[in-house]
Amino acid sequence: MSTSNKKILGILALFVVIVIVTAMSSNNFFRPYNIENLIKRISPYTVISIGAALVIITGGIDLSIGSVIALSGTILPYLLVNSGWSVAPAIGATLGVSALIGLMHGLLITKLRLQPFIVTLFGLLFYRGIARWLTNDQSTGFGNQFDGMRDIVTKSVSIPGFSFISIPNVLFLAVIIAVLAWVFLNKTIFGRYLLAIGRNEQAARFSGIHTDRYVIMTYILCSFLAGLGGILFALETNSVQPSGFGNFYELYAIAAAVLGGCSLRGGEGTILGTVIGAGVLQLLRNSINLLGIPSSLEYAVVGGVILIGAIADELFNRIATMRRVKHK
Amino acid sequence: MSRFALTALALVCVVSLAGCPSSASNSNSTSTEAKSGQPTFAFVTNCVADFWTVAEKGVEKAKQDLGVNAVVVMPNGDAVDQKNKVEDLIARGVDGIAISPKDPTNQGDMLKAISENALFITHDSDAPNSPRLCYIGMDNYQAGRLCGELIKEAKPDGAQICLFIGNIDQDNSKKRRQGLIDELLDRPADPVRFDPAVGVIKNDKYTILDTRTDNHDSAKAKELVQDAMSKYPEMDLVVGLFEYNPPILLDAVKGANRLKEITVVAFDENAQVLQGIKDGEVFGTVVQNPYDYGYKSIELLNEIYKGNKSAIPESGMIDIPARKITKGNVDEFWTDLKAKIGK
Repeated sequence: MSTSNKKILGILALFVVIVIVTAMSSNNFFRPYNIENLIKRISPYTVISIGAALVIITGGIDLSIGSVIALSGTILPYLLVNSGWSVAPAIGATLGVSALIGLMHGLLITKLRLQPFIVTLFGLLFYRGIARWLTNDQSTGFGNQFDGMRDIVTKSVSIPGFSFISIPNVLFLAVIIAVLAWVFLNKTIFGRYLLAIGRNEQAARFSGIHTDRYVIMTYILCSFLAGLGGILFALETNSVQPSGFGNFYELYAIAAAVLGGCSLRGGEGTILGTVIGAGVLQLLRNSINLLGIPSSLEYAVVGGVILIGAIADELFNRIATMRRVKHK
Repeated sequence: MSRFALTALALVCVVSLAGCPSSASNSNSTSTEAKSGQPTFAFVTNCVADFWTVAEKGVEKAKQDLGVNAVVVMPNGDAVDQKNKVEDLIARGVDGIAISPKDPTNQGDMLKAISENALFITHDSDAPNSPRLCYIGMDNYQAGRLCGELIKEAKPDGAQICLFIGNIDQDNSKKRRQGLIDELLDRPADPVRFDPAVGVIKNDKYTILDTRTDNHDSAKAKELVQDAMSKYPEMDLVVGLFEYNPPILLDAVKGANRLKEITVVAFDENAQVLQGIKDGEVFGTVVQNPYDYGYKSIELLNEIYKGNKSAIPESGMIDIPARKITKGNVDEFWTDLKAKIGK
């Protein structure tokens, strides 16, 4: 079994353990209402985490995800409600702005040779500021309008024969994006390039790969997916407070990618692992609430699990290396 | 499968540790052990703050007095986090929820979901267009006007004022600030009026130079006060409109040695503010009664649960009015507060 498959198995085991522990302690966990909520929550996080994973795989980082979420979550209601745009151009413009943000990050990183941390740190502050300025620091949302559009994200479809549970629409979107990302990373030459760039960018460039082009592409994808995530969060919640919306979400996205086996040194990572990583984080938060663990401890528990995941991963790697050495 | 064993073991440790009552000294949740046969009610806040810790004491007292189960849930993030926590409470099957919605205009779906699954009341910040059974709290606009009255008492001949507040995108903060402005400018009440944060607002006596928002970041709040003192040398009165603002104002003004020139007016009952009023460093404050928000919410939910619908007033609101606290009545108020929170 390859290392990345073992990592996926590890994070899956973590997921299953949390499910078992929660289900044993709370009868309400497996209620359809809760499962649907969980799926609805995990889906948008999956979307933004995949973006973060692609950037991390090339050895980069994007700290601006939360602020791009705030900006896109602000722009969409602004265009629809305040400026009277129709739905398709408004969504198109919102995603377009997000992609342009990614393009700018990519150009600054590759052409000006600025460090990704600095460029996206600028983004973290700048886009949040723009979102707050744009709305005059007022909460924004769709009110009672655009229910049709919101239904696409908030409603669920029932499966014939399984009337007790229905599947939230947003899951389909997340699955489509995850599958596309998986195919892109594993079944196309471009995906191999990304991994090669993450392993050793210079070596990749000397092998004839246009590294700049692919790095720019990952930042565009990351910001685009963050923008899409912002739209999903805004449609689901229908309330965007520009000062707080999406705060820290980049850290959840990065944590999901790292839990899922992405190495911050680059060159390593899988989409499936990232998806499960995003699932673990949201599942944990749900468990904390269901088990009645004080909400003040929420961050501590999530942080603890991330640390334990990292330690377990490191120990496992060492044991595996020692075994290999012994066999030789 | 060493990885599996390790992660499983570690996780079980974390979860069991976190669930252990002895580790919950800084608890936001007043009940993890449900009393069987008794209803469970939830008191949901809009953020984590000392203000809500006082409300939590009220919830705890009601829980003891009435023999019911009650949990206090404090969302630590945005409207998304509040929604998630509410959904989890519904999934847990609580019988009633009292909530301070972060954005009542746009959270209609969440509020509807509460009403469909549990008894639903609002506290602190109302959602008048939702199917809530009752609102428990004060009128923030009127409380803002009270704060304006305090300013008029402190500076009857006029003042150059800066306002400091966590944000102005929340219903209660908007109304509180607007009430204050309307009172100073002697305007009649108007529920839809909103003066933007940018730009000077003035009449012949009072000038509001600026409204600065810190997004609940105390360190930033202090910087804003310090910068305002540099930018507006003529400023002679500062108002902190969220609970944590006034102590920061007091600290910054004291640090700059300008207590004689700049009057501090406060909102809420932070201990430093009450001490400041006693010492003559803060002119006065407008206090809410978070303890009663907590107590009355649980009490009302329990009455409705028992079928006593008459406990809901016809107006749909249980008014817990704000009060002005100045040097004359600070001792009496503080003694009562200490007795309630057991300090």
